[in-house]
Amino acid sequence: MRFPPVFIAFHLLAIVSVDVRGGEIDFASEIRPLLSDACYTCHGPDPQARVTDLRLDDRAAAVGSQVLSSGEMLDRLLTDDPELQMPPPDSGSRFSKADRVKLVEWLKTGAAWPEDDRHWAFVPPVRPSPPEIESVERVQNEVDSFVLARLQQAELSPSVPADKATILRRVTFDLTGLPPTVEELDAFLADESDTAYEKVVDRLLASQRYGEHMALDWLEASRYADTDGYQNDRLRYMWVWRDWLISALNNNMPFDQFVTQQMAGDLLPERDFFTQVATGFNRNHRINSEGGSIPDEWIVEYVADRVETTGTMFLGLTMTCSRCHDHKYDPISQRDFYRLFAFFNSIAEAGLGPNNGNSPPFIPVPKSWPNLSAEESAFVEPEPVKVKVQQVSVPRPQPGSKDTVMVLHELAEPRPTYRLNRGQYDQPDESEVLKPATPEVLGGWNQEWPRNRLGLANWLTSPDNPLMARVTVNRMWQHYFGTGLVKTSENFGIQGQRPSHPKLLDWLATEFIRSGWNVKAMQKRIVMSATYQQSSIASEQLQQLDPDNRLLARGPRRRLSPFAIRDAALSHSGLLVETLGGPSVKPYMPPGIWKSISNAKYAQDKGDKLYRRSMYTYWRRTVPPPTMMAFNAAARETCTVRSDMTTTPLQALTMLNNVTFVESARFLAQRMLTEHPAENSDAAQQRIAWAFRLATSRQPTDREVKFLSEDLAAYLQEFDNDPAAAKQLLGIGEKPFDATLDVAKLAAYTLVANTLLNLDESMSQN
Amino acid sequence: MNTIKELAAQRNRRAFLQGSSLGLGAIALNELSSSSAATQPASRIGGLIGLPHFPAKVKRVIYLFQSGGPSQLDLFDHKPDLAKRFGEEVPTSVYPAERKTTMTAGQKSFPVAPSSLKFAQRGECGLWMSEPQKHLAEVADELCVIKSMYTEAINHDPAATLFQTGSVIAGRPSMGAWISYGLGSENANLPAFVALTSNGSAKAGQPLYDRLWGAGFLPGRFQGVKFRGQGDPILDLYNPAGMTREQRRRTLDSLQRLNGDQADRFNDPAIATRIAQYELAFRMQMSVPELIDVNNEPKHVLDMYGPQATQVGKYAYNCLLARRLAQRGVRFIQLYHRGWDAHGNAPKEVAAQCRDTDQATAALIKDLKQQGMLDETLIVWGGEFGRTVYCQGKLTPEKYGRDHHPNCFTYWLAGGGVKPGFSYGATDDYSVNVVEKPVHVHDLQATILRQLGINHEKLTFRFQGRHYRLTDVHGNVINEILS
Repeated sequence: MRFPPVFIAFHLLAIVSVDVRGGEIDFASEIRPLLSDACYTCHGPDPQARVTDLRLDDRAAAVGSQVLSSGEMLDRLLTDDPELQMPPPDSGSRFSKADRVKLVEWLKTGAAWPEDDRHWAFVPPVRPSPPEIESVERVQNEVDSFVLARLQQAELSPSVPADKATILRRVTFDLTGLPPTVEELDAFLADESDTAYEKVVDRLLASQRYGEHMALDWLEASRYADTDGYQNDRLRYMWVWRDWLISALNNNMPFDQFVTQQMAGDLLPERDFFTQVATGFNRNHRINSEGGSIPDEWIVEYVADRVETTGTMFLGLTMTCSRCHDHKYDPISQRDFYRLFAFFNSIAEAGLGPNNGNSPPFIPVPKSWPNLSAEESAFVEPEPVKVKVQQVSVPRPQPGSKDTVMVLHELAEPRPTYRLNRGQYDQPDESEVLKPATPEVLGGWNQEWPRNRLGLANWLTSPDNPLMARVTVNRMWQHYFGTGLVKTSENFGIQGQRPSHPKLLDWLATEFIRSGWNVKAMQKRIVMSATYQQSSIASEQLQQLDPDNRLLARGPRRRLSPFAIRDAALSHSGLLVETLGGPSVKPYMPPGIWKSISNAKYAQDKGDKLYRRSMYTYWRRTVPPPTMMAFNAAARETCTVRSDMTTTPLQALTMLNNVTFVESARFLAQRMLTEHPAENSDAAQQRIAWAFRLATSRQPTDREVKFLSEDLAAYLQEFDNDPAAAKQLLGIGEKPFDATLDVAKLAAYTLVANTLLNLDESMSQN
Repeated sequence: MNTIKELAAQRNRRAFLQGSSLGLGAIALNELSSSSAATQPASRIGGLIGLPHFPAKVKRVIYLFQSGGPSQLDLFDHKPDLAKRFGEEVPTSVYPAERKTTMTAGQKSFPVAPSSLKFAQRGECGLWMSEPQKHLAEVADELCVIKSMYTEAINHDPAATLFQTGSVIAGRPSMGAWISYGLGSENANLPAFVALTSNGSAKAGQPLYDRLWGAGFLPGRFQGVKFRGQGDPILDLYNPAGMTREQRRRTLDSLQRLNGDQADRFNDPAIATRIAQYELAFRMQMSVPELIDVNNEPKHVLDMYGPQATQVGKYAYNCLLARRLAQRGVRFIQLYHRGWDAHGNAPKEVAAQCRDTDQATAALIKDLKQQGMLDETLIVWGGEFGRTVYCQGKLTPEKYGRDHHPNCFTYWLAGGGVKPGFSYGATDDYSVNVVEKPVHVHDLQATILRQLGINHEKLTFRFQGRHYRLTDVHGNVINEILS
C-alpha cells in the first residue's frame, strides 16, 4: 500500500518545521554533524582509521587539502560512479536527500568554515536574554519566553493550560513518584487562590518522597545495585550510600557539592563520614568475583567504568570509544581517555571480588546510622586490602560485612597509568606514564586544583566547564518532558542530537550555576513554567506536525516509570508502607526466578517489606526484578541516563495477573467497600467513581461508570454462583482480606479494580 | 468493536512510521513493508525495510548453548597420541604461562591429561566422537563441525556474554534481539525470540544472566521472552486463580473501550499500541498453553527425545518445545543447558552432561528432518570456551579436571545451508592452539546472520552516536562451511 498523500505532506512538514532556520548555513551546527556521521569514520580524528591523508574534522587540514574548493568533494557527492562516489556505496554510510542538498548548497556557496569551529557543546554557555514575547499572559517565567519564541518561528500556538486535576497529578508524580490522594485533589480544586499551584509545588518539594523519587534517575545512572553483577553475582551492601543520596536530595544539597562529595568526598579538606559515604558512587560499578579471573584485567575494567560513567553523567560524552582508539567523532584521543583514567587508577582496591560482601576499601557503618554522633561522624581510615590466596591461586580480598559500606580511598603510591593498546590490560604503552589530566578541548585546568579526583570535581563544577551544567539541566528537563532539550541526553558530542532550544538550554545552565547550583530551585522553575502546565491533548494536526513534541506546543504525556506504576498501585490500595531508607527489601517474585538460572535462591520478605516503595526493591544485576524490567527499567549493569518506553504484551500480563497488582486490586476493592459502606441504590456507581478518581485523578464520565457497573454486576453474579472461585481470587497475596466482607462482592469489586489499575490513564501522566 | 480496530490500525501505522513503539503484535505492518522489499515474506510482522539483505538460507535458528565450556578434548577433538604423553608437562612453547585463569595459574605442574573416554569414527564422514555421544553419533553425517573456534574471554561471564551479544561488556543486544529487530516476527501470537534454560542433573552449573537474551540498547520489545520451567510458562501468563477466561475477556473489552476513548481524546498513538498489546497478551494466554503441552505428541516422537521429554524445564523437554516453537514461526530459539564446567572430574562430568543432552539433541535433528524442517532450520551447538589439556588438580588416568581454555574449542552446526558431514579447522597436537582456519566468535555470529539473509555489517543501530552491530567491527562469514 502507499501512504496517504496528506500524511506524507504532514510528515515532511514536521521535519521541515523542526529544522527551519533562516539565513546562512552554520557550519558547526549544520554541516559538521553531517560530515561526522558520514565521513569521520575514515576522515576523522582517529589516525588509525584514516585511509588517506584527508581529514574533514580539522579545519586547517580540510581547507588545505582543497577538496572543498576544487570541486572534488562536490563531484564525489554527486557522481554515480561507485569508484568515486563518497561515501562509498559499500560503507554503510549515506546522506539523506535533504542532507545531501544541504551539503551541496554549502559547497556551492563557498564552503564557509569559520575559524572558531568548535562544536557548540564544547563552548561554555553564555547567558542569553529571554526573548521578548508579545503574549505576556502566556509567560510564567523565562522558560516560556524561549519556548514561545520558538513556537512563533514555527507558526504554532501553545496549548491551553491543563485542567487542575491533571496538573496536580502530573506534578505530584513528577516530584514524588506517587499519585495525589482524593483529599489532595479536593483541596487543590477548592483552592482558588493565585498561589494554589505554587503551594502544591512547595509542599511536594518539601516532602521526603521527593528525595526518594528523584534518587531513582541517579540510581540508574550510577548503576546502583545490591549485587556485584558478574557470574555468581555475589551480594554487596551499598544501601547506606542510597540513604546518603536520598538525604542529599531532600536537603537540597547544592549540585556542585553533591558531585564533589561523590567524586572526592574522601579527599576534601573538611571530609567526614558522610562525604566518605558519598564516594560509594564510584564503587557502584560491577565487580567480578568469578574464581579464576585475572585481577589486573578487572581493575582496568573498574577504572574504565568510572571514566565512562563520569563521561556520560557529567560530560554527556561517550568516552568508551576512546578506550581502544582515538574517538572517531569527538576530539577525544585515546591518550585523553587514559589521562582521565589516571584520576581513578589509584584506588586501594582488589581486582577480584571477595565472593560475597563488600570489596575493599570499605568502612564500618555505626549502628546509629544515619543519626551519627559527632565522634561517629568523623572520617574513617579504611583497612588496607588484605589478599588471601584460595583454591590454589585465586587471590581474594577480605569481605566487608553487612555493617560496612564501600568507599573510595587512595593508594599511598598511585598505580602507574599507561595508554592501553586496544584497551587491553596486558598491552600497556610503557613509553609514557600518563598523569591525571582532562581533555583540553573541554576547557582549561586551574593550576591551583590538585591533580586528583578533587581537582577533577573542581574542573567539573567550574563555571567554565562547557558541559556539566548543560548536561545536568538537560536530564532534569528529560525528567519532566520525557525527552531532553538535547534528545540524546547521554551524548552531547558531535554525533549527539542538537538541542531543540539551544538558548533555553544555555539559559537554564547558566541560571543553574548562578543560583549556586540550587537543584530544587531549578525543579521549581521548570514545573512553574506555563510550558510544563500546558494540556497534553494533541490536536490531530499537532500530533502529525510534531509527534515527539519537540517544540513543546503541548504538555508532556507519558507512561509512568516502572517504579511509579507499582508504587501507585500500592498507594491506591492503601498497602504502601512508607519508611524512609534502610536496606533493600525483597517483595513478591514468581517462584524460581533466581534459582532457575543461578546458584542463589530468592528469600522473599514478609509483612511490611512486601509493600515498601519500589526504589528499595533488592536489585540483583544479572536477574533484575522482572516486574520492573517489564517496564523498561535500566538493568544497572552500566550507566544509563535514558530509558526506552516501548510497550510489550509482557507489560499487560504483569499488570493483569502479577500478584502485586492483583493484591493491590483486592485492597482497592476493599477500600471501595469499607470506605463507602452505605448501600444506596447507586452505591456501586459511587464506589466505582471514587476508585476511578483515585487511579486516574479525574472524575469518570457516565459512560465509563456505566461500563464498569455492568462488569461489576456480571462478576457479582458469577461469584455468587461460585463462591469457591471468589475465595481463590481473594487468597492471592499474603495480606488477608477483611473477613466481615461478603466474599463474592469483594471478588467482583476486585476484578473491577483490576480493570481500573490497567487503564492506560492509570499508568500515565496526562 | 469496528471503530477500535480501525483506530488501532490507523494509529499503529502512524506509530510505526514515526519510529514510535510497536510491540510484538504490531497490526498490519506487513502491508506497509511488503511494497518496499520484494524478498520479504508476506507474513512478516515488523522488522526493518530492506531486510533480509539477501535470500535467507534458513527461516530460523535453534541455538543449543552448552553453558560452562564443554571439553573439546573429551567430545570431538580426538588426540590419540596424547596417551603416550600422559603426565608429561605441556611445553610452555605450546601453552605459555600467561593467560591461565587464577584457578590454575599457581599450579606447580601442568601435566597432559589425555581423554580417558573412548573415541570412534562415526557416520560415513568418519567424524571422531567420544563414547557418551551415542545418539548424536547416529546423525554424525548431519553435523558440520568446527574444531577451530577461539575466543579472547577466559571467564564464564564475559565469555558467554561475548557469544550472546558480541561483546564482553554488558549492555549490548543479544543475537536474538538483533535478529528480531532486523527481521521481525512470523507469528502474531508469539514473540520472535524465545529463551529456554535447563540445569545439569549432576550439578546445576554456571549461572546465566538475563542480559544473555536481553535487548541491550535496542528497544525492550526485542528481548527474548523467557519460557519458564516452573510456575507460569511466561511470567504472569495465567489469570489469577478464581478468574475465568470469560471474565478476563470482559475486563479486556472494557479496557479496550475506555482506553479507546482516551486515544481519541489525546491523539496519542501510544494508547492504541497499548490496546494492541493487551490483545496480544490475551492471544498469548490462549496459544501458549497449547504450545507447551507436549503430551499430544505421538509416542514415537516422545520416545525419540527420551524419558525427560515430558518433564517441564528439562533439556529434553526444551528441545521438543524448540521444535514446536519452530513450527509456529518463532525465529530465534535459544536454549541454555548448564553444567559443562568440568574443573574436577572431566570424563565423569562430560558423561553426565551427555546423559542429560545427547539423546534430545540428536532427537531434535532427527525430528526436524522427519518433519521436513531441517533444511530451513539452522541448529548451533556449543559453549563459551573450551577446556585445558593440562590437568587441573590431581591427575590419574581416569580422573582429571580441566580449566577454562579460550584458545580452541569445538562447535557444530546442522541443518539448512551448512555442509553436512563436514569438519572444518584443526588444532595442534595438544588441542591448545588453532593451527588451521581459526574461527572467532564474531565469525560464527556473522555466519549465523548470513544464513538468515542478514549482512552482519549492515544490521546496525545507532546508540551513543555510533552505529553498533552484533559483530562490533569484526567478523567474517565462514564461506567454506556453507553448502
